[in-house]
Amino acid sequence: MKKGKISTAARREQAWGYLMIAPTIIGLIVLNVWPFIQTIYASFCKHLGFGHYKFVGLENYVSMFQDTDFWRATGNTLIFCVLTVPVGIFISLLVAILLNAKVKFKGGFRTIFFLPMVCAPAAVTMVWRWIFNSEYGILNQIFGSHIAWITDPKVALISCAIVAVWSSIGYDAVLLLSGLQNISKSYYEAASIDGASKITQFFKITLPMVSPTLFVTMIMRLMTSLKVYDLIYMMVEETNPALTSVQSLIYLFYRESFVAGSRGLGSAIAVWTVLIIGVATVFQFIGQKKWVNYEV
Amino acid sequence: MRKISRMTAVTLSLLLLLSLTGCKASDGKTHLTFQIWDVYQRPGMQAMCDAYTAQHPDVVIDVQATSWGEYWTKLEAAAESSTLPDIFWMHTNQLLYYADFGMLADVTHLYDDVSDDYYEEHFSEISRSNASGSDGKLYGVPKDKDNGHLVYNKEMFDAAGVGYPNDDWTWDDLVSASEKIYKTTGKYGFMAYNDDQLGYWPFVYQAGGYILNDDRTKAGYTQPASVKGIEFYVGMQDCDWCPTQTYFTETTPATAFFSQVGAMYMEGNWNLPQLMENYPEMRGKWDIAKLPKCPDPVSGDGRATMSNGLCYSTGAHGKQLEAALDVIKFFGTEEAQRIQGENGAAIPAYLGAEETWRNAFDAYDEKLDLDIIFEQFDYAVQAVYNSASPVWKSQVLDQLTKVYSGDQDLMTGLEHMQKIVDTETARKLAED
Repeated sequence: MKKGKISTAARREQAWGYLMIAPTIIGLIVLNVWPFIQTIYASFCKHLGFGHYKFVGLENYVSMFQDTDFWRATGNTLIFCVLTVPVGIFISLLVAILLNAKVKFKGGFRTIFFLPMVCAPAAVTMVWRWIFNSEYGILNQIFGSHIAWITDPKVALISCAIVAVWSSIGYDAVLLLSGLQNISKSYYEAASIDGASKITQFFKITLPMVSPTLFVTMIMRLMTSLKVYDLIYMMVEETNPALTSVQSLIYLFYRESFVAGSRGLGSAIAVWTVLIIGVATVFQFIGQKKWVNYEV
Repeated sequence: MRKISRMTAVTLSLLLLLSLTGCKASDGKTHLTFQIWDVYQRPGMQAMCDAYTAQHPDVVIDVQATSWGEYWTKLEAAAESSTLPDIFWMHTNQLLYYADFGMLADVTHLYDDVSDDYYEEHFSEISRSNASGSDGKLYGVPKDKDNGHLVYNKEMFDAAGVGYPNDDWTWDDLVSASEKIYKTTGKYGFMAYNDDQLGYWPFVYQAGGYILNDDRTKAGYTQPASVKGIEFYVGMQDCDWCPTQTYFTETTPATAFFSQVGAMYMEGNWNLPQLMENYPEMRGKWDIAKLPKCPDPVSGDGRATMSNGLCYSTGAHGKQLEAALDVIKFFGTEEAQRIQGENGAAIPAYLGAEETWRNAFDAYDEKLDLDIIFEQFDYAVQAVYNSASPVWKSQVLDQLTKVYSGDQDLMTGLEHMQKIVDTETARKLAED
């Protein structure tokens, strides 16, 4: 068929196609694309109050880059990613492999590992806050230690990372498990016959075969970690002395926009966060060519 | 067939749209929403609304309570989209921001049919000032007033052989009592928490200092008297008998007090009814006292406590402005203010109706020394705010947190605080 000469039937089908995706596309534009454009615009403005903005050019960006709290928040966010993504993915993969093995009560284990995902993040953090409580917390009781898990500026970020990893394992493991289950048994049988050890089988069969799923999981986990907010907000209140050592970019965004009311600056922080996520994702996509295997 | 199904789809979608817009009440009554942030005051607010609707059967008022934090985010979003609740509480921290932006209805002449000087006759100067915009007009009907006071554990004082706090107590007595309690019982003394209104503010005013000058244009953080007050307050954390701010992050002073870990802390009177209710096993073991005074103030008599007050406001462009104004007019009458007090919601702002608040404690055999709260109003200082408060308040608290955590010394912190308030205030004034 030549271009521009579409039969009426095909055209009608096309129209229906657009109609079918319209709810999603309209939703995306109204709820995601348009607010994003507005955010970019707002980052060049000063918020005068109640939705009134005044264009101020790069002023927000200048004051943002001069702010030590902002750089600390950027650092905190990156450290948080380093703490959560590799460790979280590694443990999730381990859990997924164990859940894929022939063990008793496999269903039970799968449920247990998935449970944190079902719990409300706020509830999870409240429980962890008690576990971490320096005076009465079970963690310090068991180890007989006196670590101020949530309030010591040196430790608080690690505590948050522990909770983040704990709550993400279940979801990531389920994703990876589905990847593992797609690997045909025949590969392992052939490898066994050839005398390959379990370790070799893992590196030569499991890892390459699960790498597409692993890649998706990693991208998602990295994005969630870069956008971390609720967990830290719940764990570390504004009067906590550890605040500046834990505060993530989105936490800072929230405090600037909604507590201090300077939404222009808040928007600038949001744009900066989007840039970081974009760069990180681009690097991951470049990197994937080296290790992700799409051939079955 | 296809045409019919398409017709059905269109009709159904139209119906769906209609149902979205069709929120208008069908009973012919005027429906008003009333937004508040304190669940504990809900019964009191409901009782007032009931009294109003009894006289106006054609009005229905829906009282909605949210949390303090959520309240302001919601209210600002509502103001932006012109969907403010018909009636809502206004706080001094935010009133100027809303009023100066023309968001609130001017209620200065609401009672002109009753008396031209209704507000002057029935509300204190602090109450009126709390409800006034920068232009001097009233943007809310005064609701209540409060102040901060001392809460102490009688058993710990007895165990340590220390006399209970009394009217003559000074900072020195606070320190020596704390020391003695800590030494003899091992419990904390006064638990000095990183807060402003229920923290260092009253100590600054006791020492003769100020947070904002009289016309609220400049801060007074670096004034010698202010430094004296803050230094004393922050310094308490270094004493053995005072928990650190790290401790308070995990355990609030009230929780520590009612778990009998510490002997004293500063509380706002608005929390007393719920503390009595929530800790039945502690009733009779604790009491309240005036804040201690500064023994050697730079100026003044060393006495001060912070007093704040809320007001009832309505949006300037409300769709049911007339009806809403009539309701808040009623809320400012002696009848409504008495109902508020009798339900223990808060101390009414209406002069002469304050004592009704005592009813909140009638149910308990164990009595608190409520007189001290009413006596403290004689020298209470209006809670500190100006039109730039929403911007500087959290930044100033951040600075103090850094002082507490040792990230910066007190004087550097105070200079930062001074600068933050001064620049934000000047910037705000330049904009207006």
